[in-house]
This record gives sequence, structure tokens and C-alpha cells, in this order.
Amino acid sequence: MFGLIGHLTSLAQAQSVARNLGYDEFAEHDLEFWCVAPPQMVDEVAVTSTTTGKTVYGQYVESCFLPEMLAQKRFKAATRKIINAMAFAQKRGINITALGGFSSIIFENFNLDKIKHIRNVTLELERFTTGNTHTAYVLGRQVQQGADQCGIDLKRSTVAVIGATGDIGSGVCRWLTEHTPVQELVLVARDQERLQNLRSELGGGLIQTIDQALSIADIVVWVASMGQGLDLTHENGPDRVLHIDGGYPKNMAKAPRREGVYVLDGGIVEHSLDIEWKLMNIINHVANPARQIYACFAESILLEFEQLYTNFSWGRNQITVEKIDEIGRLSVKHGFKPLLFKAADGIAL
Amino acid sequence: MTQATVHAINYQDPKYLDAYSRINALVIEGEREAESNYLTMGEMLPEHKEDFVRLAAMERKHAKGFEACGNNLGVTADMAYGKKFFDTFHRNFQDAKGRKDIVTCLVIQSLLIECFAIAAYNIYIPVADDFARKITENVVKDEYIHLNYGEKWLKDNFENSREAIQQANAENLPVAWRMLNEVEKDASALSMDREAVLEDFLIAYGETLSNIGFTTREVMQMSAKGIA
Repeated sequence: MFGLIGHLTSLAQAQSVARNLGYDEFAEHDLEFWCVAPPQMVDEVAVTSTTTGKTVYGQYVESCFLPEMLAQKRFKAATRKIINAMAFAQKRGINITALGGFSSIIFENFNLDKIKHIRNVTLELERFTTGNTHTAYVLGRQVQQGADQCGIDLKRSTVAVIGATGDIGSGVCRWLTEHTPVQELVLVARDQERLQNLRSELGGGLIQTIDQALSIADIVVWVASMGQGLDLTHENGPDRVLHIDGGYPKNMAKAPRREGVYVLDGGIVEHSLDIEWKLMNIINHVANPARQIYACFAESILLEFEQLYTNFSWGRNQITVEKIDEIGRLSVKHGFKPLLFKAADGIAL
Repeated sequence: MTQATVHAINYQDPKYLDAYSRINALVIEGEREAESNYLTMGEMLPEHKEDFVRLAAMERKHAKGFEACGNNLGVTADMAYGKKFFDTFHRNFQDAKGRKDIVTCLVIQSLLIECFAIAAYNIYIPVADDFARKITENVVKDEYIHLNYGEKWLKDNFENSREAIQQANAENLPVAWRMLNEVEKDASALSMDREAVLEDFLIAYGETLSNIGFTTREVMQMSAKGIA
């Protein structure tokens, strides 16, 4: 049994979902109520491997976390939601659970690993994974394959990673350095010291501001969620630019843009077979929820297929190229593919 | 839940001790009420009398433990306040006993009071003084046993008691919310977060209802009943 810990993207969405599901008691309440609402198991998911034919089953746990809790600095509520959802998943006997959306960010930023006991549950962290290694793999492959689709030659291209020093960002940088002929890798992040350390580790890379990076990059990998309100129409970069939006929540795909600028939802995989769940339109916030899923969620599915009950992705900046390659092999093996452009996206494929 | 950060607490601050005199009283009263309720239920379900007598004895021990916590801080519990605090639950339990309604008795004592005790003790433990922490940690383990006992009986008799549980929930859960709001200021003086207590209660209560046999939808509807 695998698990997915997810959350909705805003209070308004949460109220609307509660109303649609007939939970009027939840729908009519404001943020105060969501701050005390307990985790819920809201859906069961089944996924079949294209190679082995094996079907694995999972549970989707809604943590009742809402991003407004962070915006309003209700950090205690935010951290309770994540830790309580984890204890809930463990109590249900789930072997491996992915922390989706903001869950893993909250876990790491608030050092929740210090909390070992939640009520009568002793948290077994080996039952949880951030899913970040699979996300890094998918972003790396989206750079390779997306570049092909857009007619960008990686050997002559500049790739900027926004949020380069984070867990996923640094993993993507390592993988791109090792596996691709990218001409120039541009590193963008806030912390100068961590940027310098990353550059030393990689043995190269150009440290720049976002504006500088956007003026020269052929491919921009957004790992930090900074795309909100981004206007891509006035961008003065190369004629042809591919943006891979790996931030959360996705908000760039509909951003206004000039001709020659392409945007791909990053960190999402497609499965060759339908993923079976009842509420997918409500809880799986992707364009085609029957086939697509966040790569971090898919990591727990892969680990369940392989019965690798270990916290595959854990801790900060520990994503190695070897681990990315390992999860990548499993991803391919069980029928997942990185999301790419379709003919309908208007690119000459 | 364990708090991520715990600020230094002055356990001898007059404001702390003043709040403690009421919180300590309602906890002691709650344990005494529980003892009496379990003995009553033992009379109502004679085939389980031995079990109920055992549970009642545990509650008597808890009450003594919490009396010791008050003594340790030099606090005199305001028992008049404690009695008044439990007044509505007491009356509702006695009414149910009068009409031989064991389901309502179990919902009030084994589910609602036990879940609130568990939630409050869980949130209190990380901010308690050393003496009280040890006692409360042992008490909370017992309370889970009590919760499981009521849960098991209601699960075994689910089909016959389903509607009665819902009815008892609708009548008594709002009482629990009111009590929680009433105690907010004093709990806060003890560094206990109201939101955390409420959430812990909803987790324990929801899990119990689900184990008894209610669907997720029913659990959500029932546990949000009359929430403030």
C-alpha cells in the first residue's frame, strides 16, 4: 500500500470541493476551521505497471493544510497538518507515503524531523519520501526532451535553474552537468554562500540574478515557485525559450507570452494506463488527471511496485545523480513518461 | 501533538497558578465523573461489570494523580468550578441512565469525555512541569484503553446503535465545544493551544467513529456538528 499526502491550493477551492462532495459542514467554515480539521483519507488509488502487469493500491490523504496558513503565518497549524497527516498515514499501515505539494517543504523548513512522537504514534520516517528525486529526474528529462521538441540544441544552449540550491534544484543541476552537453548552466538562488558551494561542487556554473538569467537562457527550469503573475510577453531573451515550470502550484502555463516562448508543466509524469481514482478531478491538479500525476507522488508508487520500503528521498540536498538514475530506471520500467508537449500545443513536433 | 518549540514556562507565576487551580479542578472532576460513570455502566451492562469496575478504579487513580499535581505546585483546586464545568455532561449522562440508554452513556463517557481527555493531556504533556508530565503520560495511555473499550462495544453493536450514536453525538458534541471554549483562556495561560487541542480531539474522535463503523462522510458530518 502506498500513500499520497496532498492538500488543496486555497481556502476558496477547499470550500468549493467540500460543497461538491456534500460536506456542507466543512464548506461553510473559514480558515479557522481548516486550522483544526483533522486529516482525512479521501480516495483510493490503483495503478498498474505496464511491464509487470502488477497493480498496486494506494490511499490519498488530505492533510487539510492550506497555503493561506503560511501566508497568515499560522505556522503551528501548518506544521500540525503535516505531522498529523503523517501519523494518520502510518496508523493506517501505509508502507510508503509521498509528501506532496508544500508538505515536504514544511517538513524540512520547520525541522519536523525533531518530532518523533505524535500522540500514541512513534513516527517511522523510513515510511515517507519527499518524492524529490523522481521530480529531479523528470525535470532533467523534460529539459532534454523538451529542448528537442522546441528545436533547441542543448550543446549550444544556456540552461538556467531558478532555485538551484534547493533539494530538487541542486539535484537537477548535478544531473544536467553529468548527463547533458548543456553549454552553460546558470544558477539562480537567494543564498550566495550556498550558490558558491554548489558551483564548487559542480565544478562550474554561472551565478546570476533572475533578470540576468532570463535575458540569456534558452531553457529556464523553475524549481522555486515564483511564476505567479509572471508576464512572459516582454522577456528580452533568445528568440526561442523553453520554460519548465516545476514550481508549485503551477501558475505559468497560462501566463501571457510572446511568440517563441514555450511553457511546459514541470515535474509531472504521464502513465501509459489509466490511474484509477474516483476524485481525481478534485485532488489531482493536472491537465489530464486520469493519466498524469506529480512526479513526487509517483515516486511512492514506484517504491511500492518495487517494494522498496525506504525513505528514498529524504534530508536536504542529498539527491545524487546515482539516485536520480535509479528512480529514473524504475519510472521507465513501470510505464511513466515525463510530460511533454502534444501536437495540440502548437509546436511543430 | 508535540510542540515544535517550547518556551520557558514559569510554573510559579501567580497567573499560571490561578489558571491551574481551575484546570486542575476540572481534570480531577472529570476523572471522578468518569469513575462514577463507569460504575453506573457496570450496573447497566452486568455482563461487563467486572471490566467497568476495573476502568473505574483506573479513573480513581488518575484523580489522585492529578490531585498530587496540584499539591506539587501548591495549588488548591477550585472544585466548585470543576463541578459546574461538567454539569451538562453530568445531567445528560444521568438522563440517559434514567431511560436505560447505554449507547448515549457510552458516547458521552467513553467517546466524548475520553477523546477530550486524550486531546487535552496530549497537548498538556509537552508544556507540563516535570512532576505532572510523568503522571499525565501514564494517564493518557490508560485513557486510550478506555476509549477502545467503548469503541469496541459500540462496534459490536453498531447496526442496532447507529442512529442512537448519531443522536447522542448531535446532542452532546456541541456541549464539548462549549466546554472547550469556556476553558480557552485558562488553557492558554498553561501554554496549551486551543487549536491544537481541538484538532487532537477531532483526530481521536474521528478515528474512533471510523473504527466503530461510520463512513468517512458520516465521520466528517458528525464531528463537525455544532462546531464553534
